[in-house]
Amino acid sequence: MWELIDVIIRLLLSPPVFAPLIYPGLVTVLIILVSLIWLGRKIAAKVQLRYGPYYIAKRLGGAPQLIADAIRFMFQEVIVPRTADKIPYLLAPALAMTLGLVPVVFIPVAPGFAGIVTSYSLPLALALSSLLPITVILMAWSANNKFTIQGGVREAFMVIAYEIPLFVAALSMGLAYGTLSLEEIVEKQVLVPGAVLNPLAAFVFYVSMLMSAGKLPFDIVEGEQEIVAGPFTEYSGILYGLVMGASYAQLYVLSMIFTEVFLAGWHPFIGSLGALYLPLGGLALFVKAYLVLAFSVFLRSVYGRYRLDYALRIGWERLFPLSVLALFLSLGLRVVGVV
Amino acid sequence: MSWRDEKLVVDWRKVAKAPGGEEIYELFIGPQHPASGHMRFIVRLEGDIIVDVEPDIGYVHRTMEKLAEGREYIKNIPLFERATIIDSNNITLGYVRALEKLLDVEPPPRARYLRTILSEINRIQSHLYGIGIAGIMLNHSTVFMWAFGDREIWMQLAEELTGARLTHTYSIPGGVRRDLPDGFEERFEKAARYMLRRLEDYGKIFLYNPMIRSRYEGVGVLKKHEAERLGAVGPNLRASGVRYDARLLGDYGAYSELEFEVPVQEEGDSFARMVQRVEEIKVSIEIIRQALKKMPDGPILAEKYLKLLPPKLRERVLKTGRVKFPAIFANLRPPPGETVARVEMARGEVFYHIVSDGSPKPYRVRIVTPSFRNLVLLRLLPREHRFMDLLAIYGSLDYFPPESDR
Repeated sequence: MWELIDVIIRLLLSPPVFAPLIYPGLVTVLIILVSLIWLGRKIAAKVQLRYGPYYIAKRLGGAPQLIADAIRFMFQEVIVPRTADKIPYLLAPALAMTLGLVPVVFIPVAPGFAGIVTSYSLPLALALSSLLPITVILMAWSANNKFTIQGGVREAFMVIAYEIPLFVAALSMGLAYGTLSLEEIVEKQVLVPGAVLNPLAAFVFYVSMLMSAGKLPFDIVEGEQEIVAGPFTEYSGILYGLVMGASYAQLYVLSMIFTEVFLAGWHPFIGSLGALYLPLGGLALFVKAYLVLAFSVFLRSVYGRYRLDYALRIGWERLFPLSVLALFLSLGLRVVGVV
Repeated sequence: MSWRDEKLVVDWRKVAKAPGGEEIYELFIGPQHPASGHMRFIVRLEGDIIVDVEPDIGYVHRTMEKLAEGREYIKNIPLFERATIIDSNNITLGYVRALEKLLDVEPPPRARYLRTILSEINRIQSHLYGIGIAGIMLNHSTVFMWAFGDREIWMQLAEELTGARLTHTYSIPGGVRRDLPDGFEERFEKAARYMLRRLEDYGKIFLYNPMIRSRYEGVGVLKKHEAERLGAVGPNLRASGVRYDARLLGDYGAYSELEFEVPVQEEGDSFARMVQRVEEIKVSIEIIRQALKKMPDGPILAEKYLKLLPPKLRERVLKTGRVKFPAIFANLRPPPGETVARVEMARGEVFYHIVSDGSPKPYRVRIVTPSFRNLVLLRLLPREHRFMDLLAIYGSLDYFPPESDR
């Protein structure tokens, strides 16, 4: 009997199961989702001289509000428009959430601890996360509504504007460190974090990341004031919950990658906790990634929304040249031999 | 100049492609839409460029002009203030002025000053409302919350003065309803200092934020001659460089006795319109400050009506500063005739035309509200802009559907 439990625990704690399911996978994403939305609302409320979520458990500052919201989403009627293309309409949100989550298997959370250990984890994680926009366009098209199609077209425009700078910025760090494995990249930042080494790449990556996750000032795809909710206009209930969750999951994945590539990942590694169980030692990674996330949601109380063509111009005329410049900077660092 | 030139006329060759055509994308925005307000835009897009915007109004039409024909004169004041509830003293003041001309009665000086103070308080809070709404149309929630929060201060001042937060029903024929409460000056000074400080904050986070400027600058330019030709009014007109303001005519309130400069912008784009509102708030604060300083003593209701009150009641009215309506107010019978009056509201000039046939109810009341006159801009300005500019322009015009629909 005890042996069986022991086996189950071992199985659960083994990287291929623990990573996708618990940390940095599903459970963590759910916790982030619930806590981050609450935190974002609280921060915005603080800036805007309001209370924010308040009445559910006043002593906790309304923290369970998001759980209540999630329950509401669960039991709300899912409306499928008569004119919608039903199968893609119903499948796309699930696909979006899946694709939002899948990249976590490549993200190491401690030395040697990842769902799938590979020496190409950086491009693989990025490539998987860049599949998400396809599902957004699928949603837009299958809902068969004028507003959703507008949103889908906006997404299609935006994707190219941010994906290229994002990839070039990330790969320029790969060039600087001479490796495409996230784990090795983190290990090379013990002394100097990547953001100090190549601030240009960090900046480009961060802005592209905001564009990618559709956070302000780039929430153009959702564009509430113009196109109601963009591609997600027709969704309700748990389907909308999934769609919203997917964009947060993507932001989470990208900020994990950002932390590992530019903010020295799990360093300082806490050895004593790491000896107990390896991912515990990488606590710093979670804390840093969470701060990056919190900053990203804070931006909504400072900015409005950029115009579509202006955002595209930012992507093509500013971020893309900057990312190429970052590439040359990395090349220079490599030639000089700093890294 | 005729209406039928370059931009205003729809290029029907383009629009005619719409039904079944592939080039024009037609969007029906509103009336159930996060940002449309109580109206509908029929937007025709060619790619991302707006070919045509058709503002479809009338969703909050309440037949106010017709209702007014069935009520006694005095009862129309609370009716009309519901047209623009956030600017209620200004919109009723026009009616009261027209009525006073019909009845041949002038308000005493103190009442004129009090009307001016409430009008400017209304203007400030209405502009704050406009700035907030314009902010949320660019999804800038912070300025939305701030402006609406700071509006509360002015509503409280108005409440102290009149007893009501929004529906003041303050100006009545021949005067005002209540005298200035004690300590109003100090509380106003506090509010004014706070507001001026806050306007700086708004500038930092919203108006002069480079991100917001990129949305407003050069968008929806209303040229001076076009503004004049189309009959735009209020801040939208003044932001295009035309110095016109019904307050300058000086036939109502205490404006002719106060010194103030009406701000004017030259550019005429959305940014200028937003700056114009901020500048007007500052001027309004200055006007209230002067009015409080220069306010004469005396009764707040015309002698003609005061002496109709029973002596005991009259004494009490003079002592407490709270007007009891004389019985004649229930049945005011202006002599047959017509009058007009114009008053500068926060959104521009409101025009009243009253026709009396000698009965206790008006024969006809015509109201031309500023939002209705600015409506044509919603059609003209977004053309040839990007789709997302529609909301920047809509916000900067501070269009208020209930006011327009009446």
